Amino acid sequence: MATQVFKIPKSLKENMKYSFCPGCDHGVAVRLVAEVLDELDIQDRSVLIASIGCSVTAYDFLDVDSVEAPHGRALAVGTGVKRAKPNQVVFSYQGDGDFASIGLAESLHAALRGEKLTAICINNTTYGMTGGQLGPTTLLGQKTTTSTMGRNVEYYGYPIKIAEHVALCDGTAYAARVSLDTVANIRKAKQAIKKAFEVQLNGLGFGFVEILATCPTNWRMTPEQAHERVRKEMMKHYVPGVYKDITETK
Amino acid sequence: MITEDITNKKVLSKGNYAIAKASILAGCDCYFGYPITPQSEIGEYMSGKMQELGRAYVSAESELAAISMTLGACSTGVKAMTSSSSCAVALMQETLSYATADELPLVLISVMRGGPGLGNIYPSQGDYFQATKGGGNGDYKLIVLAPSNVQECVDLTYKAFHLAHKYRNPTVLLADGLLGQMMEPVEFKPYPYAEIDNSDWALTGAKNRKSRVIRSYAPLADNQCKFVEKLFEKYKTIEENETEWEEMGTEDADIILVSFGSTSRNVKTAMKLCREKGLKVGFFRPITLFPFPNKRLNELASKVKKFITVEVNMGQMINDVKLAVNGKASVELIHKAVGAPPSPEEIQSQVEELI
Amino acid sequence: MEKNFIIAGFGGQGVLLAGEVLATAFMLANKNVTWYPSYGAEMRGGTVNCEIVASDEEVSAVNKHDTDFIVALNQASFDKFLSKIKKGGYMIANSTLAKEIKTRADINYVFAPITKLAEELGNVKMANILALGVLAKASKAISLEQLSEALDSVLPAHRKNLLPLNLKALKIGYEYDLLPV
Repeated sequence: MATQVFKIPKSLKENMKYSFCPGCDHGVAVRLVAEVLDELDIQDRSVLIASIGCSVTAYDFLDVDSVEAPHGRALAVGTGVKRAKPNQVVFSYQGDGDFASIGLAESLHAALRGEKLTAICINNTTYGMTGGQLGPTTLLGQKTTTSTMGRNVEYYGYPIKIAEHVALCDGTAYAARVSLDTVANIRKAKQAIKKAFEVQLNGLGFGFVEILATCPTNWRMTPEQAHERVRKEMMKHYVPGVYKDITETK
Repeated sequence: MITEDITNKKVLSKGNYAIAKASILAGCDCYFGYPITPQSEIGEYMSGKMQELGRAYVSAESELAAISMTLGACSTGVKAMTSSSSCAVALMQETLSYATADELPLVLISVMRGGPGLGNIYPSQGDYFQATKGGGNGDYKLIVLAPSNVQECVDLTYKAFHLAHKYRNPTVLLADGLLGQMMEPVEFKPYPYAEIDNSDWALTGAKNRKSRVIRSYAPLADNQCKFVEKLFEKYKTIEENETEWEEMGTEDADIILVSFGSTSRNVKTAMKLCREKGLKVGFFRPITLFPFPNKRLNELASKVKKFITVEVNMGQMINDVKLAVNGKASVELIHKAVGAPPSPEEIQSQVEELI
Repeated sequence: MEKNFIIAGFGGQGVLLAGEVLATAFMLANKNVTWYPSYGAEMRGGTVNCEIVASDEEVSAVNKHDTDFIVALNQASFDKFLSKIKKGGYMIANSTLAKEIKTRADINYVFAPITKLAEELGNVKMANILALGVLAKASKAISLEQLSEALDSVLPAHRKNLLPLNLKALKIGYEYDLLPV
């Protein structure tokens, strides 16, 4: 007898038009969020805060109420939604530029206030939507369209380790960095996303997941090469792991 | 229901406190702010009162965040506001543009101070352009209400919430340091407007209905054309329904003094002084700066020789008066760059010079 | 009929509160009234003043260039505002902290040792309210009863214990012998 082992999550829109580039990890990340919304049965009381960048299109895929934030302001908008409607589940889906460059103040202050929000941040070491420019997470030596000779400290300074910064905030309940380069890591990523929602649902504080992701188009790589880069370069500097979890008893 | 502030008698209140109390009585559910003189009393009052009432209050990390929090709260359909002043309202322009595109009922209290730059904390009307023309991107309008005394700070705060929700458009109460800091007797009556049903658009979770998206991103040019045109149809309706002004002595006037906000108090007195001297001078005060009373000014232009706008800036509203008058009469300016308005006597003598 | 008043002194003398009490009294007397403070990047101990304009009609303007009554609680305020007094207007000065010099012949001077009287009452902080008593008598613009009622409404709940002392200060000021020139 045949059993269904794989299906489209209920929290994804029907007949959605996929708009991410081939091999981009955004698609996997959005799907994981949808699966978590399904598993926690919170789709009908969730509000997505869409940010600026490729991540904005999350509202084309996730079948939840959504509001779009000005660039960098996602967690300020999220704060407004959550404070107005504390019973809603509010989460942002942001890129690293939105979260950690233009929106660093909003991001860290939301964490410091211990807002009961969940933030998902895609780290692909570049500004994807605008064509692969240097962002806050661009690695030293990495060539982008605005660091054509490679990122050097003299001109550009250092890349930011986002999860570690978020973990330092007293209002953070959970902060983790995950990768989507292997099936095993995708499973771990889903668990982290789930946890970041659970701390919100339990009123414990700010939940955060940084997802290391590919941008094959702007990296000028095949999807396989891109995942290889995640493993070989990104995971060395941006080490996956749980950086804070206040639910863990030691 | 909050009744403790409804007194049915006059109480002496500072403009900033009057605005804050009125917003409470209007049912403001969420306040987000960042301090700046001369409006800090609003945030100070709200910090205690909102917590006492179990409503939302956040001391935001910046004005960028404060207005974005307000946008977020508004997306759920509640009444939400922020308040600020000049150089910090400048920081809010981007989100105001988003909020118009999102059609959200955001209320902004803007208490003008001197500029440009950090300027100073004295009263000014230098942000007429900022409020009515906008510093944000794209074609949009904010509804702008300009009180001239503390009672109007109350009445127009009520109205700001009402119009914001009625038209789903960001609405600005444009006061200044003079109004914010002065005390006058005011009466806090109950919020006079009916609550507006927003259940057809507010984000409350997609339970037993389709999910909703509040967005401004429109990747297709044709869609965006249609959307902006629709927005402007709404603005036309607002112009038809909501334009408000005060006029006095215009029936037989040769000259009409045009002024808004706190400055108009002195101008009204100057008009009376001119009348005492036998000059046929009238007074006209736009209460809504958008929608601007173009039609009425154009009618009056057929009967009078000259308009003189009186402003505490280098001449901003004069541009709108000129457009409204459209060449039918001359339009001149009496002004001062920053500070308390020119005295009625100064205005009167300058009017005589301009005749 | 419109009258304006400036109450001035140094920070801590309760100038703004005295102005609020006066404005409230006018409100209770069914006048239109506006209170407007000097404000700016003030430092502690600097000079402070507020203007109160009371009118039977709409208040014509604030921040006027001249005034009917000045209450000067210190020398700096006396010097600053002397020239702003309208012809026939009043300088009501605290002679404990300002010299009794009359350089203008076209105005009325009232010198009262306001700080000293407040000290004698037992609380120097009552000087502001005591000054209002002097002003009420000299100006005839407002009654002692209306000021008393205003005090009651302006004092916050946690300061209500000071109401009797304030009322006493008001009365001492009101009954202080006037010596207009």
